[in-house]
Amino acid sequence: MRVTKGARITAGTALLALGLAACGGQSSTGGGTASADQPVRMELGEPQKLFYPGDTTESEGSEVLAAVFAPLVSYDENKQVVDDVAESIKTTDNKTWTIKLKPGYTWHNDEPLIAQNYVDAWNYAANQDNVQGANGFFSRVEGWADLNPGEGKTVSTKGMKGLKVVDDSTFKVTLSKPFSQFKTMLGYTSFYPLPKAAFGEDGKVTEAYAKQPIGQGYFKFDKPYNKGTDQSIDLTRYDKFPGEKPKFDKLQFKIYSSAETAFNDLRAGNLDVHDSLPPSAIASAKAELGERYMDEADAGVGYIGFPMQYNKTYANVKVREAISLAIDRKTIAETVFSGTRAPADDFINPLLDGYRPGACAVCTYDPAKAKSQYAANGGPKTLELGYNSDGPHKEWIEAVANNLRANLGVQVTVKPFEKFASILDELDEKTYGGMFRMGWAIDYPSAENYLTPVFSTVAIKTGSNYAGWSNKAFDDLLAKGDGAATQAQGLKYYQQADDILIKELPYIPVYFYRTNAAFSQHVKGVKINLLNQVEWTKVEKVA
Amino acid sequence: MSRYIIRRLIQAIPVLLGATLLIYAIVFALPGDPIAALMGEKRMDPNLVTIMREQYHLNDPFLVQYWYYLVGLFGGDFGTTFAGVPVTDIMAGKFQVTINLAMTALVMEAVIGVGLGLYAALRHGRAQDSMVLASTLVLISIPTLVTGFVLQLLLGVKVGLFPVAGVTDGWRSYLLPGFVLAGTSIAYLTRLTRTSLVETLRADYIRTAVAKGLPRRRVVGRHALRNALIPLITYLGADLGTLMGGAVITETIFNLPGIGQQLFSSVYLREQSVVVGIVTVLVLIYILANLIVDLLYAVLDPRIRYE
Repeated sequence: MRVTKGARITAGTALLALGLAACGGQSSTGGGTASADQPVRMELGEPQKLFYPGDTTESEGSEVLAAVFAPLVSYDENKQVVDDVAESIKTTDNKTWTIKLKPGYTWHNDEPLIAQNYVDAWNYAANQDNVQGANGFFSRVEGWADLNPGEGKTVSTKGMKGLKVVDDSTFKVTLSKPFSQFKTMLGYTSFYPLPKAAFGEDGKVTEAYAKQPIGQGYFKFDKPYNKGTDQSIDLTRYDKFPGEKPKFDKLQFKIYSSAETAFNDLRAGNLDVHDSLPPSAIASAKAELGERYMDEADAGVGYIGFPMQYNKTYANVKVREAISLAIDRKTIAETVFSGTRAPADDFINPLLDGYRPGACAVCTYDPAKAKSQYAANGGPKTLELGYNSDGPHKEWIEAVANNLRANLGVQVTVKPFEKFASILDELDEKTYGGMFRMGWAIDYPSAENYLTPVFSTVAIKTGSNYAGWSNKAFDDLLAKGDGAATQAQGLKYYQQADDILIKELPYIPVYFYRTNAAFSQHVKGVKINLLNQVEWTKVEKVA
Repeated sequence: MSRYIIRRLIQAIPVLLGATLLIYAIVFALPGDPIAALMGEKRMDPNLVTIMREQYHLNDPFLVQYWYYLVGLFGGDFGTTFAGVPVTDIMAGKFQVTINLAMTALVMEAVIGVGLGLYAALRHGRAQDSMVLASTLVLISIPTLVTGFVLQLLLGVKVGLFPVAGVTDGWRSYLLPGFVLAGTSIAYLTRLTRTSLVETLRADYIRTAVAKGLPRRRVVGRHALRNALIPLITYLGADLGTLMGGAVITETIFNLPGIGQQLFSSVYLREQSVVVGIVTVLVLIYILANLIVDLLYAVLDPRIRYE
């Protein structure tokens, strides 16, 4: 979830939009010399909160925690889940999972890592009394409901009955329903363990811990982080780490409020890795940095949504298809977004296993067919298109509106809302019934994550199904995928569910996000993984 | 004198109360649920939302919420952000940066502005005077945004004379942003000094001073400048508030974690406690700066007395 970064880029963009014209031109790619003890310096937006793993659901905090904690599973270059701290994760029915830990892991305070640490952390995050943002991630575990009886009611149990410690290196997780993708979820921040030292006398994770989290990963904190005051977070390699260690000693996260400023600092040689270049910097990054500029797939998707539940105007799928055919995605991605997006042709993102190029046939640009199909099906003469003006959306929404005007011969009103939530509020109150923009960034790298949280019937109430679209066949296929015996079989069902989406088109996929990163000449081997985090073991310092 | 000061400080109390009420109401009136907005565009667990709304008294009517805030405030508690960080912690760090920045800007403004104005006034009507007038006009017409980016790129990235961004280089970090922030004020102050001094130099008592044979340095320094300073002090005092609260753009460009940035993001996130806390302190600074300005009048002009 890239909440903070989004907000920050938004704020930066709104403020600095005018100034970008002044920012062009050539410049030297920066001086600055790397000494042996200089850390590798990484760009970071201000983390939203202190470092409570169960309460960190945004990209910036996760990026720091990923350097300090080692996950149970990670993701290899072929997009497959591989065991990391876990020696094995076994299940026969997708319901009961036995997780065994590799030996030799210790916390930064020398405590050994034990299975109880995981159970403690998960029970803590899942308890409503602790108000942790990642609470919902544990809703599939049996006994989650007992920890979440609702507002005003007291939690009567200590933990979820689905979590059982077998011995110091083994624990069992029982889910309330089979879920074949459970293993994929385990690489996410919310599933990190917590040491005994994290908890205070009252059983809560202490503020002191959240300022200087003790992890079991390859880097450890040098000193507590004071949110709001500190402009850097300094980490040192933890040499007792039993896994593959980074090849350099010190890592420093430098906190920036503007991605433009961070890019200037990189050009001046004061920053080594910048993984969120703003569109305004792309042209100069390409020209100046050459090989040190990276353009890779990112797991986010941008859509235009139809208010299926609220407005019957869009009930005819042929009309929705015609609207989709009228959108020139290539021009929007390349021109409006300066190449920081790619045209979408599936509901599943190319970064993940399960994506099929060209799966969405009606996502191609065909103005002639769009016009005839729209007219033949009596599409409405006027259309409304809403977006939230606190993000960088106006330009591309205007471009879509122009496409629709030109290709469908209709009147299009573009309507700005203060925030995304205002669109939803007005849909609920039926004061707005038009199309709206929507974006999705994954929580864990599984094709399933593009489907269940956004389009399933349960997600209307508790997830992000803002269209209110509901389809029984779709829900059934998801359930089959969740219960599938193998990953490959599960994926087959998810792709069939994806086919239903493409056929029914509750949303129109418009673009896939790209990760635009740059690095200095002091480092090489920068790789960004599926979770959008730099693989520090691959990075090397160049003298 | 001390009675005057005490009276002024007592007058500040209703002003402060009114300011908190007003700002609290304005932030309250902003659309959207701040708790739901914490998760961006994803839906937060509805159960968690209700628990957090209860915790921050968001379900209570406006006046009740304000009352909770005031009670906390009188106990020295500025409240916490929605992420659970005490507002006092946030303000302590941010105000340090902003005060450094504002003071750097204010000193530059006073030294360069008054210096240039003096220079122009003494060469009134000559080429140098016109030069100063023209260059200040240019400075006024370029927005801070542009000077900020251009100077950062030229002097920071290309020449490497100043740090590009951040506050990790000590006082050197503040030089360039201080100048950018002070830019337009320098230009205004230069023009103000020039006009004020030119006018004073035409006054009768200056002619008297010259006629009784005083050296020019003494005429300008003791007699003219001292009187001309009164409008300048007024301007500087008022400008301090602007420099502290209105440095959002400069702080963003140069990555200075100050009050302006914090205010911007807190308004965006609807964090009432932070916004009101910061504004309250800003109002207090404004009141104190004005008081000091008024007291300085008496120093500059002995005819002004406060009883």
